[in-house]
Amino acid sequence: MDSGFWSGYLWPTIWIVIQIVIVVGPLLGAVAYLTLAERKILGAIQLRQGPMVVGPFGLLQPLADGLKLFVKETIVPAGANRAVFFIAPMLTFLLSLVAWAVIPFGDNMVIANINVGVLYLFAISSLGVYGIIMAGWASNSRYAFLGGLRSAAQMVSYEVSIGFIIISVLLCAGSLNLSEIVRAQEGLWFFIPLFPMFIVFFVSALAETNRAPFDLPEGESEITGGFMVEYSAMTYALFFLGEYANMILMSAFATILFLGGWLPPLSIPPFTWVPGPIWFILKICVVLFVFIWVRGTMPRYRYDQLMRLGWKVFLPFSLGWVIVTAGVLVTFGWLPE
Amino acid sequence: MAIGLEHYLTVAALLFTIGIVGIFLNRRNVIIILMSVELMLLAVNINLVAFSTHTGNLVGQVFALFVLTVAAAEAAIGLAILVVYFRNRGTIAVRDINMMKG
Amino acid sequence: MFVVTLAFYLFATVTIGSALMVISARNPVHSVLFLILAFFSAAALFVLMGAEFLAMILVVVYVGAVAVLFLFVVMMLDIDFRELKQGFLQYLPLGVLIGVVLAVELIFVIGSVALIADQEALAEGQALPLTQGNIEALGRVLYTQYLFLFQAAGLVLLVAMIGAIVLTLRHRVGVRRQKVSDQVSRRPEDVVIKVRPGVGEGV
Repeated sequence: MDSGFWSGYLWPTIWIVIQIVIVVGPLLGAVAYLTLAERKILGAIQLRQGPMVVGPFGLLQPLADGLKLFVKETIVPAGANRAVFFIAPMLTFLLSLVAWAVIPFGDNMVIANINVGVLYLFAISSLGVYGIIMAGWASNSRYAFLGGLRSAAQMVSYEVSIGFIIISVLLCAGSLNLSEIVRAQEGLWFFIPLFPMFIVFFVSALAETNRAPFDLPEGESEITGGFMVEYSAMTYALFFLGEYANMILMSAFATILFLGGWLPPLSIPPFTWVPGPIWFILKICVVLFVFIWVRGTMPRYRYDQLMRLGWKVFLPFSLGWVIVTAGVLVTFGWLPE
Repeated sequence: MAIGLEHYLTVAALLFTIGIVGIFLNRRNVIIILMSVELMLLAVNINLVAFSTHTGNLVGQVFALFVLTVAAAEAAIGLAILVVYFRNRGTIAVRDINMMKG
Repeated sequence: MFVVTLAFYLFATVTIGSALMVISARNPVHSVLFLILAFFSAAALFVLMGAEFLAMILVVVYVGAVAVLFLFVVMMLDIDFRELKQGFLQYLPLGVLIGVVLAVELIFVIGSVALIADQEALAEGQALPLTQGNIEALGRVLYTQYLFLFQAAGLVLLVAMIGAIVLTLRHRVGVRRQKVSDQVSRRPEDVVIKVRPGVGEGV
């Protein structure tokens, strides 16, 4: 009875908690240093150095930022709906962490190996819209409300084309299990046959995470910060962390679907000495670099241009590509079993 | 106590009842009525899936999928009608929607 | 099995509690947020029952699309909800009575369902396969035996989409749109003029 309780309930619970700490701990550190990396890379693109004052080469800057946000006063606007006002950033941050339960870091290195992993990620990104709508509405401020609604409409629009791209990858891989999708890329990474879908997925991921050039709803120079304008200190920090964690999540998702997840480029000895998770993290870093590179390079899309792109260009294109993929796979008999 | 069919059916029955009572109590508010209809459809879905897993028959889940589809379509059209009506009349009080009465 | 029982009671309580809050919240935005919570916990119940594909689709379709639609409409229409809530307390006793009667009747029916053992009728349909995944089993049945219903559901969605657009689209006069093909096909020699003004002269 006692050992049944230990091995049946207590030990699995402790093991899951350990796994969660192993994933979430480095993730939060990565989110913090991603902010520094962004400022450094943007600085390099703009021919300057970025943060250099705090610590050697500015490496302690995220700690300074975190400390500042921690001790700052949290201001709640008058007339704001308090419960919803506080739930919105918590929801955003929670969702960006919860999605990491199904991401495989290596062979059999995943917290929850479920058969509908891709649908789970899709569901989590659908829920992410609510944090923004609630933040925009609860702030009792016009800029916030407008920015929140625009942002939500943008995210919902680009989710549709992401859904069709997932179907294309699913046709090639034969399973919605994320580990199975990575294993199906052992011979050929999917970004080579599905290259246009990779580009469309990347751009849709930029729109999903409200990053430049699709950051009109939250751009500081356009709408004074959009839905985040009334948030200060810890609540702002939660939104910020949630946005960057979402960015890393989308990069991980793109890596798993198109760039072969934890697989090395070639399955020959020098490459196979490097463990799977290291390849995974390297690929995520490459995709994140392109995220930041695009931010420093491209001008912002106007809102109607942005919606036109999502509905009138990406949706028909990804839908057509699903049909082309299905046709090619059936004609040549390359369907996965 | 093992969770059996009766437990899920009870949850669905309570949800359905709450949906009906919602329509009863909020008879002037079209949006809450639409939401109560969604609750009733959710209760029906729970019922269908519970029976599907209990009898080992996949028809229940297929039908639940179609109920989901139709519920989404109906919510969309209902809200579109509401929006157009509000644009024309400026209010959504249900008792004022009787202009075609003889 | 203890975890399953605990999970079931937790999600069932949250579902019923949030459904009660949907119909009785004062602020309509709170109603919609509780509706989202009800959908989400119902999806968890679906996962407990073993229909994980349907659970995820419930979250994606209901929570991700339908509830967003509700939220947009509730937030953007300037409606005086205090006036609409007035009949609530007046009808509350009768409503609760009818609700209790209905719930008791339904639970009596459920009690008798547990006694039914009509095995021949149940075996006629598609068996729930234990070896394949839930998605694969659904796919095998959906695209072969229920293909007509599947296409009909697609048509229903198409008609609903066209209907919603036709109802709410309005053409505003005086809005200037961009024609991308004109912009892209414009050539510099059509637009740029080189002028050489003399010193002190204008263009």
